[in-house]
Amino acid sequence: MIKQKKMLTPKEEFSDLEAQLAGTLKPIAPPVDFVKRLRLRIHMPDRHEITLRLTDWRRLFVVFGGVMSGMLLLVTLARTFYYLVGRKM
Amino acid sequence: MTEFEYSEEDVLKSASLGDRDSFGQLYERYAERIFNYIYYRTGNVHDAEDLTARVFQRAMNHIKNYTDRGVPFSAWLYRIAHNLVANWHRDRSRKQEIPLDDLPMLPTKGDHPERNLVRSQEQDALLRIIRTLPPERQSLLILKFVEDMSNAEIGAIMGRSEGAVKSLYHRTLLALRDQLEDQNLNLEGE
Repeated sequence: MIKQKKMLTPKEEFSDLEAQLAGTLKPIAPPVDFVKRLRLRIHMPDRHEITLRLTDWRRLFVVFGGVMSGMLLLVTLARTFYYLVGRKM
Repeated sequence: MTEFEYSEEDVLKSASLGDRDSFGQLYERYAERIFNYIYYRTGNVHDAEDLTARVFQRAMNHIKNYTDRGVPFSAWLYRIAHNLVANWHRDRSRKQEIPLDDLPMLPTKGDHPERNLVRSQEQDALLRIIRTLPPERQSLLILKFVEDMSNAEIGAIMGRSEGAVKSLYHRTLLALRDQLEDQNLNLEGE
């Protein structure tokens, strides 16, 4: 049996396609916390800022000195503790 | 509606003066929309997130250069997104079709969750064909259907007149219909 094809106007023809496009191309819900996560990323310092921080020698020197002093203090305390406990044993 | 206390113009003004909180407001206003656009252009959630972040980083760095010359801020953002997606495609040489396995389903807004998990074969096929279209046509369809924009708004983003967008849309539909017919896909009923 020959199926007679119904003549459609271009508008009618496209209305099917447009309906299918509307059903396929829908706004999607991004992953949970997406906005928050990306906001954090955006507030991360960029390379330029990191370079500026590293070239701040005075701050770098204070941080380095602080870390070294802290380590020296820890070593001294550990040695004192070892000396006191070790002598008793 | 309490979402925006200040007009976009005010927020833009203070953001361009370096106020990060104001830029944050713009970010929250447009992040999802830009993500949607990039997701449909790349078909990859992780790259969409990464590129969305880069769009806003670039916008933040250059917002001082943004001046309202009849082009809305959203159009400026979409242009940045368009350029970054173009670079992304160039870098990865992904001119060819992206397998649907790489296209994870994200829930669409407003639908029942169970319905979201099912993407019909016709929709899959249509997405495949859309991905083979030239980038400009893909953008046009995404902006029209996903972002629900008018031809004038799309024209502002694409740097074309409203008539040119209308004409491009018509040619895109013709091309799509031809490709669907080539693949014997019936769109008339489910």
